[in-house]
Amino acid sequence: MMRVINAILMVTSVLVLIAVYLLKFSVEDTAARKSGLQAKIERQTAELSLLKADWALLNQPGHVGPVITRHAEVLELAPIKQVQFGSFTGLPMRPAPAEPDIEALDQLFESLDSGVDPAGAPLGGN
Amino acid sequence: MAMATLDTAQPISLKGGRLARGNLTRARIRWLMLALGLIFLVVCGRLVQLGAVIADTAIEGVERDVITASRPPILDRNGLELAVDIRVPSLYAEPRRIVDVEEAAAAIHNVLPDLSIEFLRRRLSGDKGFVWIKRELTPSVQDAIMRAGIPGIDFITESKRFYPSGPEASHILGAVNVDNQGMAGIEQHMDREDLALLQSIGLARGQELTPVNLSIDLRVQHIMHEQLADSLKRYQAVAAAGVMLDIKTGEVLALVSLPDFDPNDPKSALEKDSFNRVTKGIFELGSTFKTVTLAAALDSGKVSINDRFDARYGVRFGRFTIDDFHGKHTIMSVSDIYKYSSNIGTIKIMQALGKDEFRAFLTRVGFDKRVPFELPEMRSPSVPAKFSEVVAATASFGHGLSVSPLHMAVAVAAFVNDGNYITPTIYHRSVEDAKKLYVPVITQKTSADIRYLMRLNALEGSGSRMNKEADGYRVGGKTGTAEKVVAGRYANGTNLNVFASAFPLDNPRYTMVILVDEPKAENAQSGTTAGWNAGEVTGRIVQRIAPMLGIAPDFSEALDTGLVPPELR
Repeated sequence: MMRVINAILMVTSVLVLIAVYLLKFSVEDTAARKSGLQAKIERQTAELSLLKADWALLNQPGHVGPVITRHAEVLELAPIKQVQFGSFTGLPMRPAPAEPDIEALDQLFESLDSGVDPAGAPLGGN
Repeated sequence: MAMATLDTAQPISLKGGRLARGNLTRARIRWLMLALGLIFLVVCGRLVQLGAVIADTAIEGVERDVITASRPPILDRNGLELAVDIRVPSLYAEPRRIVDVEEAAAAIHNVLPDLSIEFLRRRLSGDKGFVWIKRELTPSVQDAIMRAGIPGIDFITESKRFYPSGPEASHILGAVNVDNQGMAGIEQHMDREDLALLQSIGLARGQELTPVNLSIDLRVQHIMHEQLADSLKRYQAVAAAGVMLDIKTGEVLALVSLPDFDPNDPKSALEKDSFNRVTKGIFELGSTFKTVTLAAALDSGKVSINDRFDARYGVRFGRFTIDDFHGKHTIMSVSDIYKYSSNIGTIKIMQALGKDEFRAFLTRVGFDKRVPFELPEMRSPSVPAKFSEVVAATASFGHGLSVSPLHMAVAVAAFVNDGNYITPTIYHRSVEDAKKLYVPVITQKTSADIRYLMRLNALEGSGSRMNKEADGYRVGGKTGTAEKVVAGRYANGTNLNVFASAFPLDNPRYTMVILVDEPKAENAQSGTTAGWNAGEVTGRIVQRIAPMLGIAPDFSEALDTGLVPPELR
């Protein structure tokens, strides 16, 4: 009886030993992966901060301004002048519509009534 | 074993023998327990010892956390970055872990040739746990050193401050030192406020911080910087400065002082001449002060806008006679006195008001103390505590007392903003919040009169050169040409020129003070008074920024005639 229990205990302890070692290695592995990821995150944050700084630099009026002056001639750019601004009140009203040509309309209706479509005439000529 | 054989040979067990064996076992157990207890004591002792150890995380006297501390990004009012943190690697060594000093020194020298072998040898030898080799490197240098594979050498990622706008907003932003602590400008102010507290309790460590929004408009700042830099060249001036405020909220939209420095190179901030002339410089602002004198007189009710004053003869004080620069020498109306910038007329107006009332008014508009403002670079104005007759007379046209351009800008802002004084700020502030802080200094009627006078001066007086540039934007302002004191006396020919303006005057929103120090004539035909330089610069700036600020040009004369006070129509 005692021997069986001893054997079981022995096997269990060996198994536990293996399990503990496996756990230890997996933890070490996870830790290594974690520090790897942390390093990666740090590197990427650093890269990101550089890119953001780059973006900020390129987006500055102080950076865009000289680019514009450099290409002002080719692109025909010039600072806006006051007279170039307009407003809705400055727009002229639409000119009054011309009086309808009643005589011509009458003629058109008459010819339509008599079955001749003046619109078809050029086509008919073809 | 002898015992066992004894047992099997003689199955008689003696009481004494069992007793002796029991005693022996008990004694063994006791010894064993003692030994185990001792081992446990040792283990506990070691634990206590380890618990009591204070790990030295400091790097050459500075906490590691402080070195990697980050600062919040600073944005302008439209969200453009003025200052950002970039993460950069810094190279350090642990000399006690370095195997071959010579080899390590040579390898580092290969990548960083500006570090001498001798310096590296000294740095790397010894028994220290940590020494910096070079801070704030580029990623490519980091890669090259990593490839060299030297033991005992490693990198820490530090935060480094980067200012994308370069010197453009230098006096607002200030600078930080290599440990990321603010040394000047708004950076220093942020440290004094709450950032230092955040960092001390460990909240500002590497993670993203909420950005700080300033009231600066980077586009306006850029134009002002560009135009002032242009004025230095155009008029061969020694210095130039300018500040622009939103009169409704007191927000500073732009603040430039030239010569300036590059905040990315903090050493350049220490150069003597690059101080902030807007806040830390105090000057005799000359005739721009007449706006203040007239506001005081008109507000008291003792002088009205259609009064006339005798400006035929200079005013005598003992041996001195104060005369006019643009001598008209007639009986002048208040608006003519302002338009022709008559010293005599202004003195008469001040005398009608009374010198003590005039002095009290200067206190009311804050010319006695520093402007309450966030930037740490401030200087107290120099205004005599009590005015004698002569001092009051010279003060009425801006001589014998010195205030900063910011003082003048804030005062002019109050004059055109229906008389409501608002302290300036560099942070965002809404109109509602600002209205709670309003302090009335003059009446609405006086404010309307001042707006009329300022616009009149732009249309017909010394501001006409400015108005030609900024036509349509309803700018009004007053010039000031102050002779500079050189070696104790007013020097003829070296002027400090100022232009204090506001626009658009039919519905005022912005005020601006421009200062050009010792300008020369641009060409043979032009003059050296303020209208020719400070005035023209103001006009050019307004011409560029007004469309950005959503102000459309309007040439209708009704806007100008609308400014004329009813009693003058």
